[in-house]
Amino acid sequence: MTKIRRWGPGLLLVSPSIFLVAVFVYGLIGWNVKVSFSDWRQAQETSGFDTSAYAELFPADTGEVGEFAGAVVTGDQPESLSTDPAWIIDLHHALLFTLVFVLGALLMGAVLAFLLDKGVKGEGFFRAVYLFPMAVSFIAAGVVWRWLMNPAPGNRSTGFNLLFDKLGLDFLRNEWYLGTDWGAAALAIPAVWALSGYIMALYLAGFRGVPEELREAARMDGASEWRVYRHVVFPHLRPVTLSALIILGHISIKVFDLIVAIGGKQLITQTPAVYMWILIYDARDYAKGAAIATLLLVGISVLVVPYLLYTVRSERRV
Amino acid sequence: MSTASATVEPRVRRPRRRRATGAQVLKYAALLFAALVVLLPVYVLLVASFKTGAEAEPSRAWALPDVWSLDAWRQAWNGEQYGLLPFLENSFKLVIPATLISTFLGSLNGFVLSRWRFPGADLVFLFLLFGMFIPYQAVMIPLTQIFIDVDFPEGIPRLVFAHIVYGIPITTLIFRSYYATIPEDLIEAARMDRAGMLRTYWSVVLPVSAPAFVVTAIWQFTSIWNDFLFAVFIVDDPEQWPVTVALNNTTGSFVTPYNVQMAAALIASLPTLVVYILLGRYFMRGLMAGALKG
Amino acid sequence: MADIRLDGIGKRFPNGFWAVRDLSLTIDEAELLVLVGPSGCGKTTALRMVAGLEDISAGDLYIGGRRVNDVLERDRDIAMVFQNYALYPHMTVAQNIAFSLRLSKRPRKEIRERVEETARLLGLEELLDRRPKQLSGGQKQRVAMGRAIIRKPQVFLMDEPLSNLDAQLRVHMRGEIEALQKRLGVTTVYVTHDQVEAMTMGDRVAVLRAGELQQVDTPTNVYDRPVNLFVAGFIGSPPMNLARGTVERGEEGVLVRLGSATLPVPAEIARVRGLDAWIGRETIVGIRPENLQGPSADGRPAGGFQLPATIDRVEALGSSLLAFFTLDAPPATSAAIAEATGGGLQEVALITREGTPFCATFEPRSAVRVGDRVDVSLDTHRLHFFDPESESALGT
Repeated sequence: MTKIRRWGPGLLLVSPSIFLVAVFVYGLIGWNVKVSFSDWRQAQETSGFDTSAYAELFPADTGEVGEFAGAVVTGDQPESLSTDPAWIIDLHHALLFTLVFVLGALLMGAVLAFLLDKGVKGEGFFRAVYLFPMAVSFIAAGVVWRWLMNPAPGNRSTGFNLLFDKLGLDFLRNEWYLGTDWGAAALAIPAVWALSGYIMALYLAGFRGVPEELREAARMDGASEWRVYRHVVFPHLRPVTLSALIILGHISIKVFDLIVAIGGKQLITQTPAVYMWILIYDARDYAKGAAIATLLLVGISVLVVPYLLYTVRSERRV
Repeated sequence: MSTASATVEPRVRRPRRRRATGAQVLKYAALLFAALVVLLPVYVLLVASFKTGAEAEPSRAWALPDVWSLDAWRQAWNGEQYGLLPFLENSFKLVIPATLISTFLGSLNGFVLSRWRFPGADLVFLFLLFGMFIPYQAVMIPLTQIFIDVDFPEGIPRLVFAHIVYGIPITTLIFRSYYATIPEDLIEAARMDRAGMLRTYWSVVLPVSAPAFVVTAIWQFTSIWNDFLFAVFIVDDPEQWPVTVALNNTTGSFVTPYNVQMAAALIASLPTLVVYILLGRYFMRGLMAGALKG
Repeated sequence: MADIRLDGIGKRFPNGFWAVRDLSLTIDEAELLVLVGPSGCGKTTALRMVAGLEDISAGDLYIGGRRVNDVLERDRDIAMVFQNYALYPHMTVAQNIAFSLRLSKRPRKEIRERVEETARLLGLEELLDRRPKQLSGGQKQRVAMGRAIIRKPQVFLMDEPLSNLDAQLRVHMRGEIEALQKRLGVTTVYVTHDQVEAMTMGDRVAVLRAGELQQVDTPTNVYDRPVNLFVAGFIGSPPMNLARGTVERGEEGVLVRLGSATLPVPAEIARVRGLDAWIGRETIVGIRPENLQGPSADGRPAGGFQLPATIDRVEALGSSLLAFFTLDAPPATSAAIAEATGGGLQEVALITREGTPFCATFEPRSAVRVGDRVDVSLDTHRLHFFDPESESALGT
């Protein structure tokens, strides 16, 4: 068939990539899922089907679900709950981190873009400044942020706490990432620092993508500048916000480098991603590590897959 | 041939010519404040890195150095205890082949998936794209196992391979978006001129791909250089660590004086910062290409 | 040189839409056939099927007697000129033209000679080292042609090559392309939406609508004997005037009543059109503007039936003068006419007043003004009649 002659070479050319991704992404994920359902809890690999890893991560029965949810939200685990306490804390941290990170980056990025939208002198400079954190590795950033958020008291204080002291703002002193209640939120600060430039760039492109004629037409119709924004510009930005939420969400679930750089392996800064690393390397609890990885994957898929399908479908419509 | 519309930076509108109103002043104040906050860590890094060991004391953290010294820099660069130089070498040995190969692969894939399509090309694209979103921790264990099983050369080569494979989604994405802006009739004209697929790629598509190559290469360079996760899982031998892992170990220990820590962080970030300063425009386009997918 | 035969050719797109339906057409060796029709009529799709850029869903395609449905475009020995020229942006003019020869691995010397020969033919000698972005539209168009010509193919395909050029340049290039084609004697299929191009360039014209062939014939025949309402309205600018009229039997022959006017139909026409069968029935009557003439400079009316008219609008074009009036006959509304003429006149008429807007030609320097009442001479030998339901011309 001549048709095959036409597109056959193309398929052939991408087949190595298809193969590599099939094996190293989907194949390994499959392996990972398999391990998560095994009883490979210590160095000795066994092959039985076992859900004990998951059992430690989920509430034991429907009765416990409420308590589980409550524990995740508050960070306090009641004695009666049978799940792994470290896991509860991780989830709690992840929740807190995600909320602060996503909202913070979204807000800061959007505000910065809004301020820059009409064009200011030195826009290039400002954009370059806000974006540069993306060029820096999380590890390097972690070095400085760990120091900035150091909670050491008294004459050993450094970083923000020291600055607040010097500026007479002692009431702002706090324990930052080592705080039991809001530690995870503090961890979100460097993450916001790192990503808001990116969100700003997204929103700026979105703002600028609004055809000027639309704004002019609204102005001619008597709309105040604020109204122009509210009724013409912001609706245009919904896809951008959706994009940004998906991207921030998936980064939040995966974030690893930053947590490790600032908090190392301590429980007080631990997130599921870090816990997984610890389980595999230190505790050699492969099944559980794999289970966490699988759950992370499920979380991301729920976010990303509908979004991908939606964008490809709308692409085809165009 | 102008640059890809999918990766163009927002055009700058000239500021309205009107006298500085209160709103303008507030706007500038806010922008400057934000810039200050963003640059704060840089200030700290720089200031600390130029202090001597003696001055590197918590209570003096925010002050400029009394004595400007390159001692911390020297130690972080090639000092016996904390020197990053050998690790910088490892990073370069990692980044250069990985960037070149993954970029080239992305170009071929992007070309086929946008301009020499086959039935199911869009599905294949989605199939590849999803690879970008997985939590890499999930696959690190079996990956290292495979490396062991096939006796893949240890250390940096494994890392190079991993970055090539996991770089396929993003590089393909960028090129596919870019090549979508090549008019279809250009490819058809080549076909009518009796060019086959590879010929068309080589003679017609590749010559106009420069912008996409630059963008992708810069983005890959930055991502791979800054990566920590892959490196820490895949490279066991400390001598083969890339600079991110070395940095984490240097600075993770509480023994390291913090002026050295800061200098080390700066040194580790230097290549990507240089790239960013010189080629920031292209960097941003890579960034946008990843997001404008959405 | 080869002839092209389309036998029941059809194209179905994945969403079920048939862009081309049952197209049967033969293009003779060395003929220049123009495929014309409004946007979306399938002409470009048909062209692309001949090229091999689109797969054929139904029917058979023969080039030079060989069935080529399953032959790849590169093996059909066809060259194509694209609407947007599709020049390789990073190559010089010379390289663009030479590209296909380089691929065939012809010796360098031969390539150079043939490039120079082609450049001379098209007046491109000075431009050989330029890049496409340094060229004007007309120059790019010629380079695109050069790229096609150099291959000495059996068939040329041209997809609206002139539509991106300015009006004046288009007129000039039309002649050039036609002369070139005659000189080279290559079978050519030329696609355009511009019926003026179709009329001036084609040995024959094939009119398409919604994927179906309406009529294929010489330009003159398509003009004088349109086979249906669509062709009648599409070919000819300004378009044919159309209105509803009733056929009646008169004392001396057949009459047709158009509004308040009753026109005698010449016996010859009545016979050929079989109007006897239409006595008492309503048909659609057509008359071209040039067959509706205003009085001559000295006030003498031209021959033919005198139709009273009150002028609504005047368009003085310098070389001609068009005067519009409203005939008090019901308009011939149909989708075909709307599509053929772009619909404008009809819609305006429905808004302004009852009746059908008609267009007549006057002497170029006539002093006629809006509001004037004049008698317009209608040449009844040039009347067209159409069946209101089937939309075909009567008697065909």
